[in-house]
Amino acid sequence: MNLPPSPEPLLAVQDLTVSYRTRTARIQALRNVSLTLKPGETLGIVGESGCGKSTLGWSIVNFLGANGFIQSGSIRFEGQELVGRSDRQLQQLRGNRIAMVFQDPLQALNPALQLGEQMREVLRVHQQMSKAEATTRCIETLKRVHMPDAAGLLDRYPHQISGGQQQRVVIAMALLNDPALLILDEPTTALDVTVEAAVLDLVAELRQTLETALLFISHNLGVIARICDRVAVMYAGEIVEQATVTEIFQSPRHPYTQGLIRCVPRLGTDKNSSMLFPIPGRVPRPDERPAGCLFSTRCQYAEERCRTEAPLLRSLPSGTQVRCHLTEQIDPQRWTPPAEAEMPPPKTSPASPSLLLTGSHLHKAYPVPGTSLASLVGLEKRRSVKAVDDVSLKVDKGTTLGIVGESGSGKSTLVKSIIGLEGIDHGSLEFMGMEIHQPLSRRTLETIRELQMVFQNPDSTMNPSYTVGQQIARPLERFHTVPRSQIRDEVVRLLRAVRLNQTYYDRYPRQLSGGEKQRVGIARALASQPSLILCDEPVSALDVSVQAAILNLLLEVQAANQTTLILIAHDLSVVRFIADQVAVMYLGQIVESGPVDALYAPPYHPYTEALLSAVPEPDPTLQRSRIRLEGEVPSAINPPTGCRFHTRCPRRSWMPDGGQRCQTEAPVYQEASPGHQILCHLPLATLQRLESETLSV
Amino acid sequence: MNSTTLSPPTQPPGLLRKLANILSILLGSRTAVTGLAVVLFWLGIGLLSLVWTPHPPNAQAFDANLPPTSTNWMGTDHLGRDIWSRVMAGTQVVLLKTRLSTDPQVVVPGGVALWGVIGAVVVGGLLGVNAGYRGGRVDQAIMQLLDALIAFPVIVLYLVIVTALGSGDVVVVLAITITGAPGVARLVRGLTLDIKTREYIRAAETRGESANYIMLREILPNARGPILVDAMLRVGYAIFAIGTLGFLGLGLPPPDPDWGSMVNDARKYIYANPIAILWPALAIATLVIGVNLFADGLREELTRYQQ
Amino acid sequence: MARFLVRNLVSMGTTMLLVSALLFLLLEVAGGDITVRLLGVFASPEQRDSLRRQLGLDAPAWQRYLDWLVGSDWRARPLSAYPLVTTPNPQSGEAEWWAEVAGVLTRWRLVDGELTAIQRAADGTESTAPAQTVWQRAPDGSEIFWGVDIRNNLVQWQRGSDLEVLVLSEAGVRSERGGPQHYIPLRKGIVRGDAGMSLQSNRPVSATIFSRAANSLILAGAAFLLVMPLALFCGVLAGVHEGRPLDRIISITGLGFTATPEFVIGIFLILIFGIWLRWLPATAVFLTGDAILRDPKILVLPILTLMAAEFGYVARITRASMAEVMQTPYIRTAFLKGLPRQRVIFRHALRNALLAPVTVIMLQINWLIGGVIVVEVLFGIPGLGSYIYDAAIFGDFNAVAAAAMLTVSIAVLTRLAGDLLYLYLNPRIRFA
Repeated sequence: MNLPPSPEPLLAVQDLTVSYRTRTARIQALRNVSLTLKPGETLGIVGESGCGKSTLGWSIVNFLGANGFIQSGSIRFEGQELVGRSDRQLQQLRGNRIAMVFQDPLQALNPALQLGEQMREVLRVHQQMSKAEATTRCIETLKRVHMPDAAGLLDRYPHQISGGQQQRVVIAMALLNDPALLILDEPTTALDVTVEAAVLDLVAELRQTLETALLFISHNLGVIARICDRVAVMYAGEIVEQATVTEIFQSPRHPYTQGLIRCVPRLGTDKNSSMLFPIPGRVPRPDERPAGCLFSTRCQYAEERCRTEAPLLRSLPSGTQVRCHLTEQIDPQRWTPPAEAEMPPPKTSPASPSLLLTGSHLHKAYPVPGTSLASLVGLEKRRSVKAVDDVSLKVDKGTTLGIVGESGSGKSTLVKSIIGLEGIDHGSLEFMGMEIHQPLSRRTLETIRELQMVFQNPDSTMNPSYTVGQQIARPLERFHTVPRSQIRDEVVRLLRAVRLNQTYYDRYPRQLSGGEKQRVGIARALASQPSLILCDEPVSALDVSVQAAILNLLLEVQAANQTTLILIAHDLSVVRFIADQVAVMYLGQIVESGPVDALYAPPYHPYTEALLSAVPEPDPTLQRSRIRLEGEVPSAINPPTGCRFHTRCPRRSWMPDGGQRCQTEAPVYQEASPGHQILCHLPLATLQRLESETLSV
Repeated sequence: MNSTTLSPPTQPPGLLRKLANILSILLGSRTAVTGLAVVLFWLGIGLLSLVWTPHPPNAQAFDANLPPTSTNWMGTDHLGRDIWSRVMAGTQVVLLKTRLSTDPQVVVPGGVALWGVIGAVVVGGLLGVNAGYRGGRVDQAIMQLLDALIAFPVIVLYLVIVTALGSGDVVVVLAITITGAPGVARLVRGLTLDIKTREYIRAAETRGESANYIMLREILPNARGPILVDAMLRVGYAIFAIGTLGFLGLGLPPPDPDWGSMVNDARKYIYANPIAILWPALAIATLVIGVNLFADGLREELTRYQQ
Repeated sequence: MARFLVRNLVSMGTTMLLVSALLFLLLEVAGGDITVRLLGVFASPEQRDSLRRQLGLDAPAWQRYLDWLVGSDWRARPLSAYPLVTTPNPQSGEAEWWAEVAGVLTRWRLVDGELTAIQRAADGTESTAPAQTVWQRAPDGSEIFWGVDIRNNLVQWQRGSDLEVLVLSEAGVRSERGGPQHYIPLRKGIVRGDAGMSLQSNRPVSATIFSRAANSLILAGAAFLLVMPLALFCGVLAGVHEGRPLDRIISITGLGFTATPEFVIGIFLILIFGIWLRWLPATAVFLTGDAILRDPKILVLPILTLMAAEFGYVARITRASMAEVMQTPYIRTAFLKGLPRQRVIFRHALRNALLAPVTVIMLQINWLIGGVIVVEVLFGIPGLGSYIYDAAIFGDFNAVAAAAMLTVSIAVLTRLAGDLLYLYLNPRIRFA
């Protein structure tokens, strides 16, 4: 800290307990939470969903909605007690001394008002500035968050700018009055990985230049590692561990923290050399919290004492605060996975690879409704989004193809075309020797049976009206996989295969946790005994501890049935962990593809390089190269000429002609090593140098 | 695996719990309970009137236009009939029976309002789910047709239908169906557009399920909550409309008493017997308000329950 | 923007076309036998047949639909020997069809089996002269002549034909021979402002319908303008205080008003103010056209009734919309920016919250029209509502159809206005 030590911390929360009233009971969302924040310091709050992270943020400004209230405890901010203050007094602090930024920037901005008006009013209300003064101040602040054309922006409406820009505006709005405390609640979760990286850069930069203290709430350990000085780990409404960021990641003392760190996939690991260890069980609901230590139900070290006596948050000599009876006895180095943990089977590569699916020169375009009068009467040329544009791919039986890309890259359309939810415009798609480019309605039942899908969102993957058993039984009936009399047995077998016991048969989806629903989704896909399962972001909506279990389950299923997987993900570490082959997509094209180990090492496609560099890694000591993409993803209606990526390519200047060729001429695939293809004009030798060059910059 | 022997029976406990659950939701809302009480009151009156009324409802047994007395609790009408008996019996055509023909008397259980709403829900539901799920030209065609129907002021449409087809229970049922179907279709279409984006619909499609299976088995069961509440509100509108038609002299035909027609008759003698008009008018108003309160309370509780 | 307008107009046109077809279908096909109503039940089939021919009902339904919609003069003109013109009757001012023979307005009628020409001079006087017709030879050898008769039909006369025609007149049915074979009732069609003759009053529908509509407009407009600010205000108030006593009071009152049929509210008002307190007239008495302006008191109870019916609906929609907006993240943001509550409500919430009501209120015009019918019948106001009601009771097809088309046009136009207002209020569409 380069600030003089202050007698009192900026924010001191003491024994804070917050409850929500529901129809039947009171639910404690926070229990005895204590923390302090010094001026200019950044404290990260991390934990899984339902652990009370956001409630903590809300309670500091006492904005808990109609049914939430602070039951006990104190919140001191700049020496004043905030608990028990009137709304009017808090109003003077909110947006002035304490500002907040939330997850979805589009929803945080009023759709009916110009951005300028929404920004200026913060200054006019709190500082009684004139309109001209406020405008000047807004433009200055927008420049500080690196918004181009700051003056012009003030006249625009929120829907007219991109998600990344919206989040910058929201951050700028929060900074207008130079707040002493800025609370950021999952500020990058709704953003694409390259945009997220740029926003995180901004937050990191602001930390250096401002004297504002940050309370940074995130479920993502990688993001926390990048941004924070200190970290508080929350579990079921309590802080279970609080320490400096290096302590947390290098010597975590609470079994929950240790478990969290063990279940995060990293870029450095691949599925042959490393493993993910899920934490068994799930965060207990408020009404089923155990008596003693809240984590005792999932803790493999738990003793009798843990189940009866609630541990207190105590300080260790290292300065770490931890809420555990046994922390001194636990040595994470000597940890072994518990017997009941789900572990992936050892990887066995098929002896002789045989081709299962071949797509060549696939094209899929969606017509775009015109916006002009001419288009209505058919005078204008019909425009279309080329969602998939000349994509070729090959998948071997029993392997996993990972498809990576940001939103709008066409990865979902590609998968939908393969499974037949969308027809293919032209190109050929050969599956087990049959041509299957036609949409589902014209495929044979046999082909339909062979291709199944696992979906992204656990809350909508199951029909709420039917029981688990009914939903898994339906494909069995439809495809006559087993005789009618054996359907129930088969459903139970499938449930066991995804590690659910048969008591789940009669449960409804609303009685299941997210991870359990995802398991049922996998069982349902397995029911028809397909050769190929397409997974659309199967873990992106799950908590990390559950994520690992589902990924392990997919690998297990694959090993047991020799199933082929195609998996879409935006998370490069997940793909790194699970895939054999990887394809990187940008604006409808595959820009790089190859075996997983080759792809995650140079030579890279410049886009892959930027994606890799954007991934926040859960390691505060790691110094990665910082390749950032400029601008926004161009519209797929009017894709750039030549190389699609040339408008944002950070390496274009390395071309001998300064990148003229990238603008005019479409590149062709270069073979870097057997099966590893890169769609770029830059010579392979140059691409090989990328990583080392960056480090020396 | 020996799971067949272990498998517990699936039906009864779930169903019982469901019922208990619905009941507890209902009783949780003061609005719903008040509404339910009013509806049950009139239902009880109607059932009672099937077996007993103080006087025969159609008998001209008293002096005309009497004020309330101890024999005629609500007085008598212009033909000397007991108003309270007629109000009681008036519940029947609305809630309890529909006369398919009067000569010979063919009666089916379930009132005109109920059958009309059932018709509207079935027709509107099927149109809406098809428009929403199939989209494109089917959607456009259906919505254009419904737009044309919605463009009619409801009473004008009633007038036109009744002018064209004459009056009678079946025509009123038809009129309620035609005027109600567009609203139901819009609601169901909206729900379908939402439900259609869910991944379990994708799962059904990737199983190669037919469009009919997806619409009837995958989509509609998940739309039943809002449809049910809407249907209840529509029963309210239907009773409202039957009353208005009766008032306009186009309602349910005699001999059975009909509240709207009673109001219309009493209006002509409003100076001679002002109080007579009050009773049937109150009957319509309380029943409609009761149904609305019930539906409203139910909706509120259902949304809260889902949260 | 232009695209939006064009698309809306196209959709509106289609809607109106469908509505007209629907109306025609319902009233024409299911409407029963008009001759029963005009001739009574004891007429012979021949008489009915003849009358049907005179009314042009022997033409196929699609032909009559087109005649009704866009007029029959298109197909009549090529048949007629002389140009057809319309001119107002000097007495009644109603439009009449004439043929122009060498600059003279001429019609024809049969007098004792002989075709006679009626000529109208420029000063409006009419004179009769033996017809100097040019008989044309038809392919079957008979001599025919197409001319305008005195009932605005284009008629084909055939020389020497003995087909019997039963002419309906005030005195009863009269049999005539020697001439008319086919009738094409001449009309300009409803889209050109000619809704045909009212069967009830025997006057053109368009002659009465507009003055009636003006009365209704005053009634409905006054109710709308008075209730809208009140309902919006109460709705916003309830939405901001969601779940609190004030909200309960407004919501329950609104529900009570919406759920009570207009005629019940009207009757209560009549009982209280008209009969027991005698403050206001219980029914409206219209002796002269401008009675509304001379004695506005007669409109108080009708307007109050309409207001009550509208209030609940608008207030409830506004409340729901306001309550929903108050829960959105951007309102949360506004509060967390430290803005005063008033500013959050008026600058941030109100505009978004009023989006839903404007479209719904405009759709609501249908309810208002329905209410207007009931109120006009109840209070005896000669407006569009009571007009359509009387026509419907009588079975007057032309009048019902015209009035229904008029109400539908009003509904469709207000919906367009609502869409435009929505467009104006919603920058997400305006700057798409």
